Amino acid sequence: MESNFGNLDWVIVAVYLAGTVVIGVVANRYVKNMADYIVAGRSLRSFISVATMLGSEIGLVTVMYTAQKGFTSGLSAFHIGVVAGLSCLFVGLTGFIVVPLRETGVMTIPEYYGQRFSQGVRIYGAAILAIAGILNMGVFLKAGAIFVTSLTGLDDPMIVNFVMVLLIALVLSYTILGGMVSVVITDYIQFVVLAFGMLVCCIIAITKTDWSSIVSTVERVHGAGGFNPMEGSVFGPTYITWMIIVFGIGSCAVWPTAVMRVCAAENPQVVRRLYTWSSIGFMTRFIIPQFLGICALTFFWERMGPDSLFFDADGKIVSDVDQTLKAMPLFLSQILPTGLIGIIAAGMLAAFMSTHDSYLLCWASVIVEDVVNPLAGGNLATKTRLLLARLIIFLTGLFLLAWSIWYPMGQEMLDYLAVSGSIYLTGATTLLIGGLYWQRTSTVGAYLALTAGACSVLGLKPVQSLLGLEGRGLTEAGVALGALIVATVLLVLGSLLFPNPRPGANA
Amino acid sequence: MNMWATFWGVVLVLVLTVFAILAVVVAIGGFSDVKSLFATIVSQHEESPDE
Repeated sequence: MESNFGNLDWVIVAVYLAGTVVIGVVANRYVKNMADYIVAGRSLRSFISVATMLGSEIGLVTVMYTAQKGFTSGLSAFHIGVVAGLSCLFVGLTGFIVVPLRETGVMTIPEYYGQRFSQGVRIYGAAILAIAGILNMGVFLKAGAIFVTSLTGLDDPMIVNFVMVLLIALVLSYTILGGMVSVVITDYIQFVVLAFGMLVCCIIAITKTDWSSIVSTVERVHGAGGFNPMEGSVFGPTYITWMIIVFGIGSCAVWPTAVMRVCAAENPQVVRRLYTWSSIGFMTRFIIPQFLGICALTFFWERMGPDSLFFDADGKIVSDVDQTLKAMPLFLSQILPTGLIGIIAAGMLAAFMSTHDSYLLCWASVIVEDVVNPLAGGNLATKTRLLLARLIIFLTGLFLLAWSIWYPMGQEMLDYLAVSGSIYLTGATTLLIGGLYWQRTSTVGAYLALTAGACSVLGLKPVQSLLGLEGRGLTEAGVALGALIVATVLLVLGSLLFPNPRPGANA
Repeated sequence: MNMWATFWGVVLVLVLTVFAILAVVVAIGGFSDVKSLFATIVSQHEESPDE
C-alpha cells in the first residue's frame, strides 16, 4: 500500500529529533544532585506537571495499543477511557493515595515501603516493580517499529531495525545526560506537538469516514459487543472491573511514572490540581487513539471488505495481533498529506522517546535508590548513584532491544501491558491503601500482598503456555482480579496474625 | 445499540472539545512554568552550592 510519507517528512522528523536531543544535552547543565536528576529539584508547578505527565502517558505506544483496541473492539472500547478519566478525577478531587503519599516526602513508592514497613519490604517491592516495569516496556520497541514501517511504507526489516537502534540511542543519550530536567522539557514540547497533532488527525479522519459509516461498520464487524461494554462477547463486567483497577486507580495513582510527578510537585495542592486537570488527558489518551482505530476499521472495511489485509472470509478481524497493530498507522499514511504526516510522525516518535526516557529514568532510579543503595547500607555517594543510574538505563535499553525481537506477544498489546503492569500494581495498590489508611498493616502483610500481586504474571499467554494452563478459561482479567482478592485477604490476615511490634514494646 | 452509539458520540465530542481547551491552556501555562523551573533550580544551587 503506497504511503503519503515523502522526503519532506523525513527532513521534518530528523530536524525535530535532533532538536530534542540538543535540549536534553543543554538541560544537563542544570543537574547537580540526585533530586535534580530524579524529581527536577521538586520545582514543578501545575501546568508543566500536567504537560509532563500527559507527555509521558500519551506516547506513541499508548496511541498504538489503544488504537488497536478500538480497531478490534469498536466503540465499546471507549469505556476504558471513561473509567481512566473518572478514576483520575476521583483521585484529584479526594487526594486518594497521592496526597498522603506526597506528604510523606518520599521520592519513590518503594521508599515509602521502607519508611512505613521495613528496608526488606522496600527492596522486595522495588525488585517486583522494576521487573514488572521493564517487562511492561519490553514490547515498546516493537510498537515503534510497526508504527515506523506502516506509516512510512518502509518494509525492509533491516531499515526498521536500524531506525529502532537509532531511536533507542537518542533516548539513552539525553536521558542519561539530562535526567528529569530534560524529561520535563522534552515532555512539554512533545505534549504540545502531539496534542494538536492528534486533534488535527481526528478532524481529517472524521472527514474521511463519517459517523453513520462508523456505526454501521462497527455493527457489521463487532455486533452488539462493539457498542455495549457490558456485553460479554467483547469485554464484560470482569474486564471493566480490571480496567478500573489497572488503567483507572492503578495507572494514575500507583504507577511509578505517574507517581514521580506527585513526588516532583511543589506541594499537595499542586498534586490535587495535577490530577484534576490530568483526568481529561487520562480519558483522552484512550478515546482519541481508539477513535482513530475505529476510523481505520471503517476505512479499510469500506475499501477492502472481507478476506483482505485485516479481515477474514467471514468479515471478522484477523487474529494476528501484529497485523491489527498496523491498522492505525497505515490509515494515517493514507489520509494525511505530505508535510503534516512528517509533523505527526515526528511528534509520535518524540512521544516514543519521551515515554522511554520517563520509564528508563523511573526504573533506573528505583533500582539504584530502592535496591542497590539500601543493600549497600544507604551509604553510596551521589556521584556513584548517578553513575549507576546511567549504567542501568543503558543496560535496560539493551534488554529492550533483545526482548522486542524475541518475545512472542500472543495477546493484544493493551492486554499484555495491563497484565505486566498488574504484576506490580495488584500488590502495590493493596499495600499503599493498606499502608496509608490502615494503621495495623504489618510488614508480614506487606510481603504477602506483594507476593500475591506478582502472581498476575499468570495472565501472560506465553507463561500460561509454559505452565500448561492453556484452555482452562484463565482470562487476563480473571487472573488479575483473583490476585487482587488474594492479595487483599493475605494483607489483612498477615497483618492481624503477625502484627508489627509496638514501638518500645521491648523496652 | 442506537442509544449506545449516541452515548459514545456525545462522549467523543465532549472529549475532543475539552482536550482542545486543555491543550491550549497547558501549552501557554507550561511555557511560563518551564522558565520558572530553571530559575528555581539555579537559585537552589546558589543557596546550597556544596550539594
